[in-house]
Amino acid sequence: MASAELLLMLLADARLPVAGHTQSAGLEPALRLGLAPDEVEQYVATRLSTIARVEAATAVVARHHLRAGLSTSVVEAAWAARTPSPAMRRTSRAQGRALLRLARTLWPDDAAVATVSGVPRASRAVALGAVAAAGDLPARELARLVGYDDVQTVASAALKLLPLDPSDVAAWVLRALPAIDVMSADLAHLALAEDIPASGAPQIEAWAEAHARTTRRLFSA
Amino acid sequence: MPEPHPTRRTLRLGVCGPVGTGKSSLIALLCRELSAELEIAVVTNDIYTDEDARFLRAAGVLDPARIEAVETGACPHTAIRDDITANLIAVEDLEERFAPLDLVLIESGGDNLTATFSPALVDAQVFVLDVAGGGDVARKGGPGIERADLLVVNKTDLAPYVSVDHEQMVADASLARDGRVVIGLSRSDRASVNRLVTWVRGQLHRQRTGTLVPADPGPMARHSHSHSHDHGDDRHLTEHHDHLPLGTTS
Repeated sequence: MASAELLLMLLADARLPVAGHTQSAGLEPALRLGLAPDEVEQYVATRLSTIARVEAATAVVARHHLRAGLSTSVVEAAWAARTPSPAMRRTSRAQGRALLRLARTLWPDDAAVATVSGVPRASRAVALGAVAAAGDLPARELARLVGYDDVQTVASAALKLLPLDPSDVAAWVLRALPAIDVMSADLAHLALAEDIPASGAPQIEAWAEAHARTTRRLFSA
Repeated sequence: MPEPHPTRRTLRLGVCGPVGTGKSSLIALLCRELSAELEIAVVTNDIYTDEDARFLRAAGVLDPARIEAVETGACPHTAIRDDITANLIAVEDLEERFAPLDLVLIESGGDNLTATFSPALVDAQVFVLDVAGGGDVARKGGPGIERADLLVVNKTDLAPYVSVDHEQMVADASLARDGRVVIGLSRSDRASVNRLVTWVRGQLHRQRTGTLVPADPGPMARHSHSHSHDHGDDRHLTEHHDHLPLGTTS
């Protein structure tokens, strides 16, 4: 078994084949519908305290349920209740499917991966819980992964969508890291679905819905 | 021993090549020519979601529900090569929804000369050039031009208007390809359309008979495809290649 640090690097690497390049974490519609280019760093922080927080908590609780042999359906339902945008739920489930496809190759005999693969339309958060259970990734590292991936998804999409110096964008990511650490420390102990925070972001959800209806998209979501 | 998809009857055919060479038109042409005899679906990867998908829907050659547009986040090359997840999921969904399909055409977003499909995504691939892109492009080579299963030199009817000798272009391409198939194509040249359709039927036949083993055109430098194992299918495959019409234009 490899170290948790190395597994975390593998899972956080943009080269992991899970269609990460198709995602902008909502940045594409945000910029089209009103977010100013100089507000993107604030957008990153907003996501970390809202949508990414729900996703990280859901992943942590799903991991706990899988390790304890409990059903993840209550976790999936809790996440769905906290994700009112149908477009965002569809996106997450498409990402979950992509992740589970990879996970079945990486951990072909793992019970958690098999269990979640058998659930119709598992969210990305629950699929990540299964990956963490399969790879023995600690809860805090799992929450860090969700936060870090969210920040990097916005950052790399920003480079495609705006005239930015890539070095400046890497500096945003560096400045966001302490907030990811705080968030993961807050969430790592969670075990119950009812404890998943309900920190939605209605404006981001509205943008996601608008994005799903446009026909001119670079990014899936 | 190669075991090419014993459980899958559908041929997954990739169509790749630079912007504007006629990938969407070629797919529309194949749908028009083959939809009476084959169950077909299409995946597109345009820069913005559904330009190509709209083109195909407007062409009226296929039920719009059978055309799926995949966003690539401005990474068309990645989506067909290093991370094929989004395309693979779209292909599998179409195959499930419209089972049993005979042919899924996957159109890459127009990309540069180095882009080729991963053999994990497609069973065979077509690289499309056109005469208007310049007569020297075929000589420049690259993995798709040299080693895609089929090279199409498209829009041969335009050759006189862009001062290109299309027969020379096809001859250059054939030379660069070591005898792999080249078809000079024009929608208004019936014989060339027939050659294209015959080639696709041939690939489908090989898929059905289990003799189609996806070959990777690149991006690495040329390497020998003469496999060390002594396998009857491979001999058959080579013979099949030799009998396919080489690129002559009328």
